[in-house]
Amino acid sequence: MSVLGRLKVLSPCCRDAARLLSESMDRRLPLAERVGLRVHLLLCGLCRRYGRQLVFLRRLVDVFTKSVESPASPAASELSPEARARIRERLERN
Amino acid sequence: MDTSDAACSPAVEWLERHGDALFRYALQRTRSRDVAEDLVQETLLAALEARDTFNGRSAERTWLTGILRHKLVDHLRRTLPAQLADGPDDAAPPDLFTRQGNWKVRPVEWTGDPQALMERAEFREVLAGCMSKLPPRTASVFLLREAEEIGSEKICQDLGISPTNLWAMLHRARLRLRQCLTMKWFGVRPKSE
Repeated sequence: MSVLGRLKVLSPCCRDAARLLSESMDRRLPLAERVGLRVHLLLCGLCRRYGRQLVFLRRLVDVFTKSVESPASPAASELSPEARARIRERLERN
Repeated sequence: MDTSDAACSPAVEWLERHGDALFRYALQRTRSRDVAEDLVQETLLAALEARDTFNGRSAERTWLTGILRHKLVDHLRRTLPAQLADGPDDAAPPDLFTRQGNWKVRPVEWTGDPQALMERAEFREVLAGCMSKLPPRTASVFLLREAEEIGSEKICQDLGISPTNLWAMLHRARLRLRQCLTMKWFGVRPKSE
């Protein structure tokens, strides 16, 4: 069996690799899974690309959630006048 | 009742100055206007109590957001476990893999810089749209991890779910977001953009 063939036996499929890539963002993978993932990424450009996308996504979500306070926020919405009045009234009771 | 008493004015001023920002923060993470409004109110009341601890070194907005963040995490701790016990709300995400476990559609390269992209209004709209399509509980859990940056062990403890459950939820959330962003943006734009 060729070296590549041997490596392929050790390698998880893309479905599992994608799951492991995600998990590796939330915990340190156990050794066997870490090695399996490494081997897979060595052989698979698509999963390497997916891994880069996950990092990209994390960065996007980070900027997105931190910018929510600015008025130019995508989630731009405001307290309704009713809610504002209600809260105001409650605050004034204190 | 005469409400012009000076003692109550700071909270009312905070409401005027920061109410909308606090509301958006809470709304993005809870998806419920009612809950978000309550959280804003609780935050301002708590801030009023703790006003002496405001040292003026941090900006008012930052200080208030810090209080809101605590209120929010408390709220999710109280409400999410029961909801999650009903089972995941995203049981059937679209399957992106073949039966052999290969990608059905080859992932395309995402180009651009995250920070620069976020400065474009059309992109922010796309991202907001994709986020809003996440099932609500999945979104809350995902944001505890990614926005509040709480470690997975802590999230599991607080929400009473197993690590396996949590990782699966986060994995599905990422698959969905990545799929949505590819379809709505990265997969349909020429590379030069």
